[in-house]
Amino acid sequence: MIVILTFFALVFGLFCGLSGTESEIIRFISKNSDMILYILMFSVGISIGMHNGILKKIRQYHLKILIIPLGITAGSILGGLLCSLILKLPLNQGAAVASGMGWYSLAGVTISRLGGAELGSIAFMSNLMREFFSFFLIPIIAAKLNYCTCIAPAAATSEDTTLPVLLKYTDEETVVLSVLNGMLCSFFVPILITFFFHI
Amino acid sequence: MKIFIIMGIGILIGRFLMIGKLKKWNERLAMLCTLLLIFSMGVMLGQKENFISELSSLGLKSFLFFLIPTVVSIIFVYILTRRFIDKKDTKGNDK
Repeated sequence: MIVILTFFALVFGLFCGLSGTESEIIRFISKNSDMILYILMFSVGISIGMHNGILKKIRQYHLKILIIPLGITAGSILGGLLCSLILKLPLNQGAAVASGMGWYSLAGVTISRLGGAELGSIAFMSNLMREFFSFFLIPIIAAKLNYCTCIAPAAATSEDTTLPVLLKYTDEETVVLSVLNGMLCSFFVPILITFFFHI
Repeated sequence: MKIFIIMGIGILIGRFLMIGKLKKWNERLAMLCTLLLIFSMGVMLGQKENFISELSSLGLKSFLFFLIPTVVSIIFVYILTRRFIDKKDTKGNDK
């Protein structure tokens, strides 16, 4: 159900954007998307807070907590290198595009500036697809693999937009791991993109 | 930073003030916010100049740059979490 609603929300949004439909509600939503994100984070915070003993459980992980962001980062970079080989692009460019890890706005803008408009567009769209397809992949991974792996497609977006889907299909413990993962991946994104353009 | 402060306030409210009955409403609020964010993302994309032409010319390359890094990340995290994170109830049903 959630996946269908997500799909329709995107399609309806695209339709409104492409057709140039102007209405107070659409303008209000677009203008206040930051505020909506804050309400979302507040609500996610409440869900975490209502779950007793969760922070104690998380503390038990110690350094193991780094496994998920490191796995996602390494997997993304390796995937980017494989794409470069397939598409015959310079390896550093492929690694930089994949280092966006779903943060399409930042990756698109930064890579456009560092690697040109075409590569910037690829970075924007591929990372946007990563965020969007995460909504579909998370329920499948939760059912077939394990809860922690649900964070992998979401990558840097696991601390905001994809978090409610993770909350719905996994548990509160995984949600806290998602937030930490999102913070770390988001921290790595600009560093890795810049790094790959300077080697 | 602002986001984490807001989330922190939410955690405190959830911990000390929330009652069980409101859990469902809170989940609905989160879902509504997500749908509104995705809708506004669609509007933003639709309004972006050349979006459709870029999608048709660079769509396949972009799709590959989404697919392979995502799949490799999933494989890596699955192997690592199976090996190092012994978390009970890691596979389950849709709530």
